[in-house]
Amino acid sequence: MKHRVGHIGEIPDREALIVNVDGRSIGVFKVDSRLYAVRNVCPHKQAPLCRGTVGGTMLPSKPGELRYGLEGRVLKCPWHGWEFDLATGECLFGISGRRVKTYPVEVRDDQVYVEVGSTPS
Amino acid sequence: MRAGKDDLGDEGLAKVAVVSKTRIIDSDVHPWINGDIEGLLPYMSGAWRQRFEGRLRLPDHPLRPPLAGATSIRRDARPPGGGAGGSDPLFMKEDLLDRYNIEFAVLSSIQAGKLVTLPNTDEATTLARAFNDYFMNEWLVVDSRYRLAMCVAAHDPLEAAKEIRRIGNEEGIVAVFLPLLNILMGNRHYYPIYEAAEECGLPILIHPTGTEGGFQTSVAFAGGIPSTYIERHTVFPEVAMGNIASMVFEGVFVRFPALQVVAAEFGYGWAPHMMWRMDQNWREFRREVPWIEHEPSKFVLDNIRFTSQPVEEPEREEYLLQILEMVHADRTVVFSTDYPHWDNDSPKNTFRRVPEPMKQRIFYDNAAELYGLGTLAEA
Repeated sequence: MKHRVGHIGEIPDREALIVNVDGRSIGVFKVDSRLYAVRNVCPHKQAPLCRGTVGGTMLPSKPGELRYGLEGRVLKCPWHGWEFDLATGECLFGISGRRVKTYPVEVRDDQVYVEVGSTPS
Repeated sequence: MRAGKDDLGDEGLAKVAVVSKTRIIDSDVHPWINGDIEGLLPYMSGAWRQRFEGRLRLPDHPLRPPLAGATSIRRDARPPGGGAGGSDPLFMKEDLLDRYNIEFAVLSSIQAGKLVTLPNTDEATTLARAFNDYFMNEWLVVDSRYRLAMCVAAHDPLEAAKEIRRIGNEEGIVAVFLPLLNILMGNRHYYPIYEAAEECGLPILIHPTGTEGGFQTSVAFAGGIPSTYIERHTVFPEVAMGNIASMVFEGVFVRFPALQVVAAEFGYGWAPHMMWRMDQNWREFRREVPWIEHEPSKFVLDNIRFTSQPVEEPEREEYLLQILEMVHADRTVVFSTDYPHWDNDSPKNTFRRVPEPMKQRIFYDNAAELYGLGTLAEA
């Protein structure tokens, strides 16, 4: 079911708009005009994940070499720094098999809608 | 539809917190003073304010955590009124004490731990005293659940002992935080501090100062100098291992039998190995330390306590229970959150599978006995 969560203008750039949909805390992000919706609970220790930071990260590389990438695609937990792919909710680069739930987002007439299943997950 | 600012992350926690009646004492909580020495100026004489003119910041280890802002303080723990996480006692009261129904929180200032980077004894001693007066005046009066591990500068053990005797009998003081210089704790250098602490009935609390391996006067790591944060954070336990061996074999607990030592945030998964190895060596080399008249592991069980955070995350969950059994956690482990640091443990999802009697010991009873706090102490 699609829930209206606010006007597109209310979603700050790279900071979550935290909304409550049917008892689920969800962070809605806007990064370079792309929208993401992520469950606001870190699967590691249940921290408020969406109060973390959005940015890039260091890609796997050879010893002594640094390659920065995925700018704008990485959500980093404010507690233990676990990094997730904003789009898929997967932990990056195999640090853990756990993933955070993500939801489809769409904009109609400048209103933002997040689609969630019928039972809280 | 909007969530309020404060009901975010606990949505997930609420689901797993099956109405636990466990009472909680939190043995490792970190307050912060905005501006370092600048915030301490009101607690110094005019001459000392002049002395620190133009150098009001305490130094950081150059290897910072690769987290937002390169800080170890959780960015979601920043008080709404501004300042660093941990700097507002009213906000911490809501965000930690009220939220998790914590009966007592033992405050230790890791910021004060940076005193061990200072090569000047009088400066370190003056700052330690200012830190203590600050926390007594700005924190302990806010809520009686706050208790303080007062800090001392180990640079001058006689002055440190004076400081312990000055305030150590105040109700709000429950421990002595001893930021370590690069001198092992069994060394006689520290004995005046132990004597004063034992006299006041206060445990000595040690904790990584975050300066290890970064300054000449700070504790050195075994083998050499780690070159990344991940490396130095991983090897903190070796500091506790070295100091426990030193205290036990030098006979600190023979000289000061009532002295308790809290090893905060050094882990405990290694402690069974350490105890077994000490006992094994004692059978072989007892004649080198003839004042040790029983198995050295007994000193660990009787005189040393370990804080729980960061809770070990072994490959299989049952291993955690086995480790707790091996380390006699029903006597030796005290619960801690480490709020507001990045690696803090929430009381709601820590030790969830630990059987109730041991859980009660870890979350409350062991600490109540250690600090003389709460209803157990009255009984």
